[in-house]
Amino acid sequence: MAKRHLIAAFAAATLLAVGANAASAQENIKIGFLPGVVDPFYQVMELGVNKAAKDLGIEVVTQVPPTWGVEAQTPLLNAMIARGDLNYIITAPVDKDQMVPALQAALDAGIKVITVDTFLGDGDYVNGPVTFPISYIGSDNVEGGRISARGLAKAIGGKGTVYINSTNPNVSSVEGREQGFKEEMAKDYPDITVLGPDYNLDDPNKAAQQTAAVLEQHPDLAGVFGTNVFSAQGAGNAVVNAGLGGHVQVVAYDATKDAIESLNKGDVTLVLAQKPFDMGYLAVEFAAADAAGVTSLPKRVQTGFAIIDKDNVDDPNYSRFIYKAE
Amino acid sequence: MATPDVNIGAPVATPAVARRHRLVLTLSRLWAWAFLGLMIVFFVIAVPIYNGGSVNFLTVRNSQNILVAIIPVLLLGLGQTFVIIGAGIDLSVGWVMSLGSVLSALALRAAFNAGLPLFPSVVVGFLAAVAGAALVGLINGTIIAKLKVPAFIVTLGSSFIVRGVALLMSENTTVIGLPRGIRDYGNESLFYLIRGEGGGFYFLAPPELTGELLRRMDRILSYPVVITAIVVAIAMFILHKTQFGRHTFAIGGNIEAARRAGIPVDRRVIMLYVLSATTAGIAGFLSTLRFTAGSAVIGDPLLLSSIAAVIIGGVSLFGGAGSIIGTVIGSLIIAVLTTGLVMLNVQAFWQFIVVGVVVIVAVLIDQSRELIVGRTRTGPPT
Repeated sequence: MAKRHLIAAFAAATLLAVGANAASAQENIKIGFLPGVVDPFYQVMELGVNKAAKDLGIEVVTQVPPTWGVEAQTPLLNAMIARGDLNYIITAPVDKDQMVPALQAALDAGIKVITVDTFLGDGDYVNGPVTFPISYIGSDNVEGGRISARGLAKAIGGKGTVYINSTNPNVSSVEGREQGFKEEMAKDYPDITVLGPDYNLDDPNKAAQQTAAVLEQHPDLAGVFGTNVFSAQGAGNAVVNAGLGGHVQVVAYDATKDAIESLNKGDVTLVLAQKPFDMGYLAVEFAAADAAGVTSLPKRVQTGFAIIDKDNVDDPNYSRFIYKAE
Repeated sequence: MATPDVNIGAPVATPAVARRHRLVLTLSRLWAWAFLGLMIVFFVIAVPIYNGGSVNFLTVRNSQNILVAIIPVLLLGLGQTFVIIGAGIDLSVGWVMSLGSVLSALALRAAFNAGLPLFPSVVVGFLAAVAGAALVGLINGTIIAKLKVPAFIVTLGSSFIVRGVALLMSENTTVIGLPRGIRDYGNESLFYLIRGEGGGFYFLAPPELTGELLRRMDRILSYPVVITAIVVAIAMFILHKTQFGRHTFAIGGNIEAARRAGIPVDRRVIMLYVLSATTAGIAGFLSTLRFTAGSAVIGDPLLLSSIAAVIIGGVSLFGGAGSIIGTVIGSLIIAVLTTGLVMLNVQAFWQFIVVGVVVIVAVLIDQSRELIVGRTRTGPPT
């Protein structure tokens, strides 16, 4: 009995402490930012985080894993938890299952979690297997795959054979893109046949070889969907070297500067830009809002896409979505 | 494949045993060729059957695609061939290639922006890649030879350092803004063949083409393939025709004996790692031209493939035996598999399984060879 009272008292004290913390939070909160890996996409996200932090007068501590993987991200996360002075962690979990315990530990240490770009569980923080993060802010990869499919279908006139070149199996982001692409083609474009995916393991040389082999196999190939920059770079190289630049349309996911350069050179027809700056900025705003006691933050925010082609690449309304880290 | 002098030892067995030995030795030399041949025959038959007769495996374009595809693995493998014959290992080559790619891109861009014409800028890029890579090899080799630290550890450590340096120098993993024209150096070719009606064979420059004719044009011997072939020829000459090559076999066969024979072992070992890093640097330079961008991650996935190519090609992991042409065959096996499997719509991961089996077979054959040759080479135990 005494023990239960003790627990109740402790819980009440904790609640009070948290409440007191929230009341004075506006200027006092401190946020940890832990993206997935060093790359231009997350660099732009970091710009968004830093801008919001500056606008709101919040301190942010950033740690960037040098490689993509649970074994690289977890120690940095643990170090952030061990600091003891963070109230929120904004992170892109590199694995939707394996990162759950580590982020749960952050929550247990009193640090609230917002995920950006990637998610935990199935990304549904209301009814899904993981519900503790405040929100998942990112673009929907399946939707991105659909948009890519529609863009490619339009570019090839709604019929023909297209090919997916991808990086690695079992990565939620590229898997979603493949899935959305295939679904959309199957649903709305009965005259389009989809081949692949082949996996190039992040090696553009291999992507080029695979695409060249598919071009031999299907000389009438109309288009290629590269699910990330390596895939699109390799596929574009193979297409141009086969004398098919401009005849075989290549869609690239992610508007890195080299994807845009490929677009300018004509190796790539369409570039799908996500909005990492928005993701970073919104996540910090969400943390501030939560600290100020806002309780109706959406559990899922889709940041959407911009589609860049050679006609609009110089238009500032579109070019501002190119991943530039300055 | 000429066996160098240190390796020659008269078989010391009865005629029956000697015959068996000869068989094993012949097998160990020829099996990779046989495997490559069988694999090509298999794809030549299987690809048309699978695709309903309309698609052929053995086309001009496919052969050229495969030649382009082997370049990175082969170049990394060439240097590695020297190192492994010398009974060492170089685990840093993939990342040295990335460093070479970044350095060549940065230097080329700087030179071009400083007003140098395109070709000299490309030469500056080449020199930067080779010099930067060779420096890494020099440091690796010096620590290994002079401080007697195992090559495995030294090159493992330097692979991390090189990776960090390449990422730092490139800032966001890709160096872009290179002059457009370098694309031609990395992708155009010596000959152009336009198949079918209105076609022809052209040297250096294709005619102005549009539409259908462009589709029928094959690039034959692209510049990177030519450059790689030159590097292969130089490597063959060094390994099989020079004193340095003979010393390499001797060091790999028995380093103490080599030292007693008066071979400057330390200098030779340092040179092995310089060579290995240099070919990796050239691979990085060529990838920069090909994709008109420097990449700090371009070589990351290639280390294991390059070692596999070397082992499949019959280079002994015990050191002291191997050839350049074997490594070429090993690289070809890997590339032919990739293209063939894609054309059969087989998951590319089967490539790993086949390559893995072939590597293990190669090592088994190497070991049985070692049982025979090794005894004659090192003499009876004392």
